[in-house]
Amino acid sequence: MTNTFGRSWMIAVYLFLYIPIITLVVFSFNGSPLVTVWSEFTLKWYGKLAQDREIIAGVILSLKLAFLSGMLSVLFGTFTAFALVRYRFRGHTLLSSMANMPLVMPDVLVGLSLLLMLVSLQRWLGYPERGLLTILLGHAFLGTAYAAVVVVSRLREMDSKLEEAAMDLGCKPFQVFTLVTFPLIVPALVSAFLLTFTLSFDDVVLSAFLSGPGSTTLPLVIFSRARLGLSPSINAVAAVTIAVVSIAVIVSSIYQSRAEKQRMREIAQAYNDGNQ
Amino acid sequence: MMIEKMHSFLKPYLTGRQFVISVPFLWLFLLTAAPIFIVLRISLSEMDIASVANLWTWAENTLTLKINLSKYLFILHDELYVKTFISSIGYALENTFFCLILGYPFAYFMARAKTHLRPMLLMLVMLPFWTSFLLRIYAWKTLLEDNGVINNFLIWSGLIHQPIQIMHTQFSLMIGMVYAYLPFMILPLYSNLVKMDTRLLEAAADLGTSPWKTFWLMTVPLSKQGIIAGSMLVFIPTVGEYVIPELLGGPQTLNIGRVLWDEFFSNNDWSMASAVAIVMVLLILLPMAIFNKYQSKSYEGITS
Amino acid sequence: MAAEKTLKLEKNSLHQDNLLRIENLTKIYDGSVKAVDDVSLTVAKGEIFGLLGSSGCGKSTLLRMLAGFEVPTNGKIFLAGEDITNLPPYQRPINMMFQSYALFPHLSVWDNIAFGLRRDGMAKEKIMERVESLLKLVQLGKFAKRKPHQLSGGQQQRVALARSLAKQPKLLLLDEPLGALDKKLRESTQLELVNIIEEVGVTCVLVTHDQEEAMTISSRIAVMSEGSFLQVGTPDEIYETPNSRLIADFIGNVNIFEGVVDEDLPDHVTVKCPECTHYVGHGITGSSGMSVGVAVRPEKILLSKTKPKGKYNWCEGEVTDIAYFGAHTTYHLKLMTGMILKVQQQNRTRNLEGGFTWGDRAFAQWDDLAMIVLTH
Repeated sequence: MTNTFGRSWMIAVYLFLYIPIITLVVFSFNGSPLVTVWSEFTLKWYGKLAQDREIIAGVILSLKLAFLSGMLSVLFGTFTAFALVRYRFRGHTLLSSMANMPLVMPDVLVGLSLLLMLVSLQRWLGYPERGLLTILLGHAFLGTAYAAVVVVSRLREMDSKLEEAAMDLGCKPFQVFTLVTFPLIVPALVSAFLLTFTLSFDDVVLSAFLSGPGSTTLPLVIFSRARLGLSPSINAVAAVTIAVVSIAVIVSSIYQSRAEKQRMREIAQAYNDGNQ
Repeated sequence: MMIEKMHSFLKPYLTGRQFVISVPFLWLFLLTAAPIFIVLRISLSEMDIASVANLWTWAENTLTLKINLSKYLFILHDELYVKTFISSIGYALENTFFCLILGYPFAYFMARAKTHLRPMLLMLVMLPFWTSFLLRIYAWKTLLEDNGVINNFLIWSGLIHQPIQIMHTQFSLMIGMVYAYLPFMILPLYSNLVKMDTRLLEAAADLGTSPWKTFWLMTVPLSKQGIIAGSMLVFIPTVGEYVIPELLGGPQTLNIGRVLWDEFFSNNDWSMASAVAIVMVLLILLPMAIFNKYQSKSYEGITS
Repeated sequence: MAAEKTLKLEKNSLHQDNLLRIENLTKIYDGSVKAVDDVSLTVAKGEIFGLLGSSGCGKSTLLRMLAGFEVPTNGKIFLAGEDITNLPPYQRPINMMFQSYALFPHLSVWDNIAFGLRRDGMAKEKIMERVESLLKLVQLGKFAKRKPHQLSGGQQQRVALARSLAKQPKLLLLDEPLGALDKKLRESTQLELVNIIEEVGVTCVLVTHDQEEAMTISSRIAVMSEGSFLQVGTPDEIYETPNSRLIADFIGNVNIFEGVVDEDLPDHVTVKCPECTHYVGHGITGSSGMSVGVAVRPEKILLSKTKPKGKYNWCEGEVTDIAYFGAHTTYHLKLMTGMILKVQQQNRTRNLEGGFTWGDRAFAQWDDLAMIVLTH
């Protein structure tokens, strides 16, 4: 397999991945109300977006939801990861299967089954009403699985001797966690949070099943409009989302690679110093 | 901290270890296993307007168990349902196949790219993944519509005079599916291929194996784990995919996800939706087990 | 019954100097795998005790039981007369220097060393004082603010040592302390380690698979295999008077002749082997007619071109292999019976003139006291 073949294959796949996104952004500046027919450059859709109550309410709700869901997911995901990596117990396989299920289960299945359970629960306890809380539960559940995957891989590559050393030096188990394990897995927790935040911010199907009156998230707004046809307002929303996400991802990856390079330099430096 | 307080309250009853294990256990049990049982139960019950009849009754010293199989019998005997299930599996297989064909060489070249380039290449795959799934599917709508970007471009360039129908066909559906699921194929493949010991490949080359043969005899078998993980990550969710067929598929697209959705939201038939869900669970049970086995390997603990 | 008796005896003879006492310690994994099998041991105050064995022999499990990371299936551990068998690691006055150090990567050198002191709730000024003196001890004063990854391997090793000494443990456990260093650095670090330990005067239990390391650092060694001690003794005892073929073979290089005791007298014995007859200049616990092994270390054999006088302790062979090591050369001598005799000769002159080459006939001879008679 030649180099040129490899390069062209990669470029083709990247084009496939990016052309739709770029088109979306470009046509958000299109003056024509016919979304796909270019007339002139304009920013009017962004102006309209700022006045679109439904979308703004959706954004606020989705942000709130995504934040809470991210937090809950990281909390439960960390517990799950700990149980899976640090302990052996009867039911280990069951726990890991339950943690894997949401990763691949079709959304409609998760949505329907959670809804039916919550409805049964509500009949039984009179609580919870369909709404923000039920969506949050669904998202946090989905997020737990993803957060667990991220934290598991961090815990596995972490030297368990560090935890033993902490215990050896007088830490009780909980102190071991707060003083050693937690600071060392913080980067993983941050990425798990960002991942589960995004999952929640994106989700349509679970929200559709679990939402009640007054809990129309941004994806639900977009979905109902997209079903009806093309709408310039969606292009504008897309362009804003893409801008925010791209900046965040690019900045964080530059920061990460800088930090990594700095670390490598320091290690090399220490090695040379030590050999003098 | 909150957790410590929570635990100190429970301390008389639970050790730290039991606490750490039981919290995720209860949480996940409540949200995976329990709901599935409830779905099963509802699929077997008779429905009144908005309440579910009891599965069993206890009266006059007799336990009456009422299992209503009518929904399942209906699904089995209705040609449309059977066709829907078959075509859903078909779409999922096709999607997996195309993702693998497109993704494997991509992951391979990415894994063999220069070390300092890899993080950037990886980031470029991840970036669409971080932007909204829904918006990316919507983007294809703008591209593929009759007066969409592609048709307009083709007419403008004089290649065609009438717009060709791309939207609401099998083709548009498949493009959307592959587009949405390709990263899920690439990532496990990449992480597998990048860890592969290239000395093995060099040894094979050294022993006189041609590059093409080395690829088929060494690289592909060694990346089996990645292929399985990627394929399952694509196959299982696409069996029940709803959003993509709804936005990009045609009215003739038969798909379980849409059927379930319609039974639930349009027909309000919860038992039927549940029965469809249970059949879907049965269909993905085997792939799920395979995925589970793969994923559990990466979960096995370090400490005893 | 017998075990009970020795136990009682030991208790009676227990004096202040016995810091660590292990009684019948056993660890069984998964119901059947015996990692440590009924091990008993006492370590005196100030001793550096080495546990030597290949990987999987149980030495690490034993160490981890001492540290408290593993719960023994059976047996007891006493530290300064106190039963610590069931104490969790964080309550034991024992600290460990971990293999590849396990320094906390998110903490500076200073904070790593202070870590254990802070857990004890020591006053701030006291901690300052203690950390400073430890930094001085390991000569890392100017690196206090660095993170572990900014240090070289040798410096990291010293931080690990300082951290494990910080709480003034009664017992210091060293898990392959030099294992992560490259060969050249190891020798100097080894000396430094022993100096620091002796200066502090802490009792140590050391685990290593490297016999040279065990020999040079430890005052006493236990050789472990399959979960039990094969022999416990000072390094020279173990080297010069191994109690079994296994030990003789495990520690250093050895030639073992199989033979039968011929004469058995209080001041000497002779052993008849197919290759030659050995005259051993001391008595043994055995009787004539008994099958024994006679072990001779390669460095105790002299190679010559002329036939030795007398009828004992020599044999003739052909040089089949020569390995040059710089300071010495090892020859392989093929004897008439087919046995390969390893012989080590110091290279006293620069050119190897008068030496041997492949195919040469040569005579190997050794002293009356060079041999060990192995009955096991």
